[in-house]
This record gives sequence, structure tokens and C-alpha cells, in this order.
Amino acid sequence: MKLRRIEGDLWEIPREGRMRVPGRVYSVGPPAPDDPALQQVANVAHLPGILRFSLAMPDIHWGYGFPIGGVAAMDAEHGAVSPGGVGYDINCGVRVLTTALEAEDVRPRLHAVTAQLYRDIPTGVGAKSAIPRLSDDALDEVLAGGARWAVRRGFAAASDDAERCEEGGRLSGADPSAVSARARTRGADQLGTLGSGNHFLEVDRIAEVYDPVVAEAFGLVPGRVAIQIHTGSRGLGYQVCDEFVAEIAARRGEFGEDYATLPDPQLAAAPIASALGQRYLGAMQAAANFAWANRQVMTGLAVRALLHALAISERELGARVLYDVCHNVAKLEEHAVDGVVRRVLVHRKGATRCFGPGDPRVPAPYRAAGQPVLIPGDMGRYSYVLAGTARAMADTFGSSCHGAGRLMSRGEALRRGRGRSIARELAARGIEVIARGKKTLAEEMSEAYKDVAQVVAVMDGAGISRLVARLEPMGVIKG
Amino acid sequence: MRLSLPQPYEDLGHTADVGVRTRGATAEEALARLVLAFAALAAGGAAVAAEREERVAVEGGPGLAGSAVALLRELLYRLATEALVPAACEVLRVDAAGTEAVVAFGRRDPVLHAEGADLKAVTWHAARLEREGAGWVAQAVFDI
Repeated sequence: MKLRRIEGDLWEIPREGRMRVPGRVYSVGPPAPDDPALQQVANVAHLPGILRFSLAMPDIHWGYGFPIGGVAAMDAEHGAVSPGGVGYDINCGVRVLTTALEAEDVRPRLHAVTAQLYRDIPTGVGAKSAIPRLSDDALDEVLAGGARWAVRRGFAAASDDAERCEEGGRLSGADPSAVSARARTRGADQLGTLGSGNHFLEVDRIAEVYDPVVAEAFGLVPGRVAIQIHTGSRGLGYQVCDEFVAEIAARRGEFGEDYATLPDPQLAAAPIASALGQRYLGAMQAAANFAWANRQVMTGLAVRALLHALAISERELGARVLYDVCHNVAKLEEHAVDGVVRRVLVHRKGATRCFGPGDPRVPAPYRAAGQPVLIPGDMGRYSYVLAGTARAMADTFGSSCHGAGRLMSRGEALRRGRGRSIARELAARGIEVIARGKKTLAEEMSEAYKDVAQVVAVMDGAGISRLVARLEPMGVIKG
Repeated sequence: MRLSLPQPYEDLGHTADVGVRTRGATAEEALARLVLAFAALAAGGAAVAAEREERVAVEGGPGLAGSAVALLRELLYRLATEALVPAACEVLRVDAAGTEAVVAFGRRDPVLHAEGADLKAVTWHAARLEREGAGWVAQAVFDI
């Protein structure tokens, strides 16, 4: 793979062959030319209607079709939508709650808190039954209403939780009728569940503030407890993506040679304006709303668990949603492209929206600072809160990284974890971890990931998003 | 040829997810082993006690790899919704139009199979079912 340095940590994959645009990769250190993720950046550049660049954030790693950490903006009128550019876990995302609790007051009761959260929020393979199984009518309401559905039913830290989510916790183009019976079967009893893999719920301490003014606007106070939730649309979103990738792959010949000859079958794409493209977008947005409702129900369950475990009042807990971001999604947005404002469909596959100061799409309390950008790390080190910038709007279609990015395959992590107790190692560092399986802990150990401090430093250094605060884990729940 | 767990498979070392490769003298044999590699991942390598046998037929394509993906997608749906794990498999037919197999299913046991992977989707990336040398190779990457 040919690469040339543009500036600092930004590298370019020159346009060649049928690539429509060059690739642009933000990288922690020089990219390894044989990294299969770079070929995926080049492959994405073949998609019809892609504008400016096929982008990759510094947490880039090998995915399927798109790289994880990939961003591609398509002309909304003439471009393509690719379900693989959203991913299977539609609207996988992160939510952070702030609290009025001092970390050192909670530490003596950390085991009780973590155990209560683990009891109340189903985790692991096929986790289900956090709340009664949804009827088909109720599921339609979830698919249309997103986070607001759950807030209306009392699953909330505060009544304005939904307004503190990206898009207000709901995509208005959702079409519940485009979600199949099979997808409904997979999701109907999974609302309010964490799942497995890299999903987690953490009790964090706000360890350090880098920008006191923005941190104050975000409600981040050093030494206080924050709760971090990372999960998505569970089986429902997976089934939606699965079915549309298959249907689009089967019909790829209908949309012309550019669609029929894409270099990876997982890039299977349909014109945004086609009936099939529109049906996918309706189903995908419905699944995104399911994910927001999922994190919102978990918010309510987490608040109740904290109140119970600590025997305190809601006022003493003082829980507020800081923000909620989705990092697997495609959204219609307006961006300036070569000086002209255009409507584009931005695919973010393992990337976070990071709109800058003054943008009307950022909730009013944060508008002067820029959008909160929530970047989880690994369970043994730290996570970060950043803020969006004007530079991101100019360079990356308002996008930043989404996490640390895996460094090792799961098999390699298991080999390195053999003979070790990851839980004991974390306990020795003051981190209480509860997981459904020992294997998960080995697969998810810190060494399996890049150091997220280096990842966010690249984004900060490039001016894409600015460091605001660092969170450190005290209690971790894994599936 | 009917094959039962365990069967040999190779780990592709995929960074974010899990990829496996199997081999066979025929396309049917390689695909049956791919089905059982999927089962081994879901069961965490533990034994699966067969409870019932079923003929599973799916439409497939594009190409043989598309038909292999189609069969795995169907089996993954049954795993996700009914906790069914293949214990044995005989692929009767595979071509670009689809595939037909006889699969003996057992149940995923939350204790015995606690170390099994949460296989959430079958991807099309790097999917293969094709001749290689004198034999056949089958390959799939699962999202977990």
C-alpha cells in the first residue's frame, strides 16, 4: 500500500485504479503498509458518490468491508448507502452519566455497587429479560420513539435525558415497518441488556480535567463518579444489517457496474435514492432508535441500582446524562464541501460525530463548547471526554475516533492471558471487575487494545477534537 | 459425508472479530466443517449433545461463497433465537443457487458452553468456498 505523509499524524493513500477519491488516515505513528485495514480504506473509496476522502480515524483496525474507524460521506442525491458502512451493531454507542457522588465516598462500597449493577442489568451471551418482552405494538413505539420511549416510562436519570443525546435520542426517518419479523424476534426481549464482547458498564472516577471551562459546561468535576455505558441495538440491529447486506448483495447487478464490481462483497451498496436504499435507511434508523432506548432503559436501571446499593436519595445521587453518542451509523447531514453546503450521508463505522462550537445541532448547554465526544478506552486504563471543533467540520465531516481500537486478535489475547487472572490483576490496581466469562476478560485485557491516550492525542494534535477530561475505571461490568 | 464435532479449523487471526478456515476433499465437506467450526466457536469447544435432526435448505449466491454465507446466516439465526448449536452436519448440495444440509442440533448450555463466543452475524468479508490445490477451502468471518 502506497502512503504519503500530509502533515503530522495524517497520511494519504493516493487515488489509483477505480478509487473515486484518495484515502486519508490519522495514525498513531506511521501506518504499517501491510495492515489490511488500509486496503479497506482504499476499497471504501470505490463507493459511488463518495466525497473528498475515504477517511480513517487513529483507532483504525481491520473490520469487514469498511475498516473500524472508517468515515465516508456520500452525496445524498447521487451516492450510495452501504449497510456494511454502518455495521451490524447499528447505533452501537456510548453514554456517560455524571453524578454528585465523590469517588472516595463510594470506594468502600464499590463491591456492593458493582454487584448490584451486575444483578440488575442482564449481561453476556443472549442476555434478555431486563424488562418484560415487548409486544409487536410496543416494539413499534420503541423503534419510532428511541430514548424518549424509555424516558416516558420512567427509565431516566432526569426528564431531559433524551435532549442530551445525539439527535435527541431519536432519528425521525425511522420506519418500523421495514424491520422484519426475524429482527423483532431477536430484539423483543433484549431491551435494557448489555450484551457481550467489548460492551461494558463502568463506574468511573473523573481523574483529571484538561479544560476547566468546558468541563464545567459538561458537568465534569474532578474526583466525582461518572457512569459509562457502551452497548447498541443488540440482536435486532444485527438482524437488520444481516438481511439488508444479503438483499443488496443479491441485487447488486441492478444498480450498474459501479455497484456490481465493488472490491469487497461486504461493501454491498445501493443508491440512496433507490427504493431499496430508502427501505434500508428506514430500518437502520429504527434500529438506531432501539439502541437509544436500550441505553436509556439501562440508564434507568443503573440509577435504581445505585440508589439501592448506596441507600441514598435521587438528590444525593445527582445523576445527569452528560451525553450519548452513536459510533456505528449513517446520517443525513449538511456539510460544506469545497465551499458549498451539501446534503450528505455520513457513514461512521467506529467513528464519533464531533460537531464544533456554535453548531445548532449541538444541545444548547454545550453549544458554546462544542459537542461532547465520548471515547472509551480499555477496562484497565482510562477513557476520555473531548469536545468537537470547527476543524473537524472542515476536515472530517465532523467526525472523530470512537475508542482505543484493537491491537490483538481475540485468539492472540487469549494466548497472552493463559495462566493469568485478569480480574485479580485489575483488583490489585483498585478496579473491581465482574464478567460473565473469564474468557471475555482475557479477550478484553488492556494489552489487547491500543493506548487510547495516544489515540485521542492524535485527534487533539490534529485539532479534530479537544481534550476535556480523563475518566478512570473503579468498577467494570463485562458481558 | 456426515461430520460431527470436533472438526479441524484454522483461526484467521482477525483483529476485531473471529475468522475461520476449513478444508475438505469436496465443497460439501469443507462447508460441513465450516458449519462445525461455527458450532465449536459457539460452544467454546465443549461437546454438544444432539437432540434433533433437521433438513435445512436455503437460497444462496452470489457464487458458492454466497451460498455458504446463506447457510451460516440461517444457523446463526437459530442459535440466536432458539439456542440451537449444530452437533453434526452433512451438506447434501451446495451450488450458486443455494445449499441443502442435514444438521443435528443440540442446545447451548449456559454452564457447559459458558466460554462460547457470542456470534452475532456472519459477514461477507473474506468469505470463501472454492477449490485450492487438490481440495476445497471454506472461510468465514463472524462478527462477535
